[in-house]
Amino acid sequence: MRRVTLLGLVLLLPGLLVLQATTGWTQAKPPITVALVAAMSGGSALSGEAIKRGLTVAIDEINARGGLLGGRKVELAIRDEEGNPAKGVTAARDVIEREKAVAVFGGLHSPVGLAMLPVFHELKVPYVGTWAAATGITRNGRNPNFMFRVSANDDIVDHFLVKHVTEALKKGKPGVILENTPWGASNQEGLTKWFTKAGIQPVGIEKFNWNDPDMSPQLLRLRQGGADAIVMVANAPEGAQVVKSKAKIGWNVPIVSHWGISGGRFAELTGELSESVVFVQTYSFFGKQGPVGERVIAALKAKYGLKGPEDILAPVGTANAYDAMHLVALAIEKAGAADGARVRDALESLGEHRGLIKTYRRPFTPEEHDALNENDYILVTWRQGKIVPVATK
Amino acid sequence: MIVQLVFSGLALGSMYALVALGYNITYATSQTVNFSQGQSVMVGAVVAYALHVGAGWPLVPSVLVTLGALAVLGVLVERVAVRPFLRASSIAWLLATIALGIIAENVAMLVFGKDARAFPSDLAVRPWTVLGAGVYPHELLVPAVGVGLMILVELAFRRTLAGRALRAVAFSHDAARLMGIDVTRTISVAYAASSVLAGVAGILLAPLLNVSATMGTTIGLKAFAVAIIGGIESARGIVVAGVLYGIVEAVVAGYLGTGVREILGFALVVLVLLLRPWGLFGVPAPRRV
Repeated sequence: MRRVTLLGLVLLLPGLLVLQATTGWTQAKPPITVALVAAMSGGSALSGEAIKRGLTVAIDEINARGGLLGGRKVELAIRDEEGNPAKGVTAARDVIEREKAVAVFGGLHSPVGLAMLPVFHELKVPYVGTWAAATGITRNGRNPNFMFRVSANDDIVDHFLVKHVTEALKKGKPGVILENTPWGASNQEGLTKWFTKAGIQPVGIEKFNWNDPDMSPQLLRLRQGGADAIVMVANAPEGAQVVKSKAKIGWNVPIVSHWGISGGRFAELTGELSESVVFVQTYSFFGKQGPVGERVIAALKAKYGLKGPEDILAPVGTANAYDAMHLVALAIEKAGAADGARVRDALESLGEHRGLIKTYRRPFTPEEHDALNENDYILVTWRQGKIVPVATK
Repeated sequence: MIVQLVFSGLALGSMYALVALGYNITYATSQTVNFSQGQSVMVGAVVAYALHVGAGWPLVPSVLVTLGALAVLGVLVERVAVRPFLRASSIAWLLATIALGIIAENVAMLVFGKDARAFPSDLAVRPWTVLGAGVYPHELLVPAVGVGLMILVELAFRRTLAGRALRAVAFSHDAARLMGIDVTRTISVAYAASSVLAGVAGILLAPLLNVSATMGTTIGLKAFAVAIIGGIESARGIVVAGVLYGIVEAVVAGYLGTGVREILGFALVVLVLLLRPWGLFGVPAPRRV
């Protein structure tokens, strides 16, 4: 027994020394914690991983420059919300109250973002969305509004999709298929609004549940109604089922999709059928890159062993998160303190920032909490499993 | 359109029936069911994926090894989550099997990974046109294998010694024991068989659905609904109810909309429980005094 404790002490000793060394160092400059609450597991797990990578690359850059607020390093706390709103609420509370996060980044699932909204207002810490696009996340009627986003906004995406269907494809009888969730509802509202403004009535609006295996009943209803194009709002697993069911019933109309399908292995799940879908992104790592793009790709290659842009899965997550982290860092510097409420105020009055997706003139204003708009969206498709831009104009 | 919907329902319905048959086998022998049947479906798909796609084994050995693993899993479930509680005449097996299912799901997330993967099948690439409706050949394979297996199970029950032992145990534990049948082992075999059936369902479903840690949950639940509707003690009733349930689901979704589907399906379960608790095709159990 005694020998065991002695041995234990001997083994502990170097550990204690290291511990002392690091705490001695960090006590002088406590780190600043930011958090990511996103789906790190489940069918959309890739989105969480992509966001984590974007944040990490940006944080590495910031820390290499010496951190923020006079030498404080930035640290990232990650929580998995599993696509479950209740778990998101608990996780948001946890990272703010226990880990003292000064800003929380959000993941792919809109229902989770919407559910967490009251927590950020109660605890006065800004949320910066990097993926979830539900209109109501940022346009929520709160004042002050703690919800920001560097990502798409459903309302703006819906306008973009409607414009593509009616103007580029010149289709007049679109059918809509969307998931039976708050995110689907957010898009149902947006699509209906913009189609109506274009003087077009969708022939049908069909819904499906998560994990539904076969979408042919819904598609048959749309075909019966005479649809000449499909607007789809789905994540990767269900989007794949829609595309496979559509091929099965031998129906050949174009699918224009919101971007949820890029959050999983859509191309693997659908094979060559993936090439029949065009969808929205905020950024593409393919093609000629600016200096920031080159730098981010190099960092991703070095850190995660990627071979090239084709290995950047769920690229919007990475791109949005990278810019979002840098904007938050600027706001922390401007606020002069690691304090959620002051960071929020600072976010609304940032100046010009040369980011990855674009050069932000003034990223956020008190009225506009979405840093990206439809001029920043691009239309893409899959070619041999890679996301490539589609020439539209 | 109706043909298309029937095809859609047929594949899924026979899947429900296969899984529900597993409920039937264990319920008949021990009055218990494995509420992690849905997760056994998932384990079947995931293990087959790991062997066939991950390790690159040919299909046949992958399937055989997977089914072997499922049999072991079934025995384990019975040993760990059912037998201890059955001895104590407690219904804690209900919670214990659900718990095992949740554990299986989370282990799969850790080991297999978190996102949905594709299971390749040459039969699920190009759809055929049958009676004007599109159908992946694989979707026809599902009911074919399903019905084949059900006949096999039925025959095994009636013709083999082990099958007769199962039926004897189902009839009365005490009488079976008096005839020298090892009741405990027979229940164990029933669990293995039930698990293997779920595994077959999982392997068959893998190319149609995607392989993921959460793929089995809904199927397990709907299969239980099917077992209730068909009559949990009636194997034939379950088969008919399973196929019908799948077809009704598809037809309701096609004509009335997907929103109504789940409402009607589970309302039917409640209705059957109220009016014919022994199921549409079952016979009311004589009360033993």
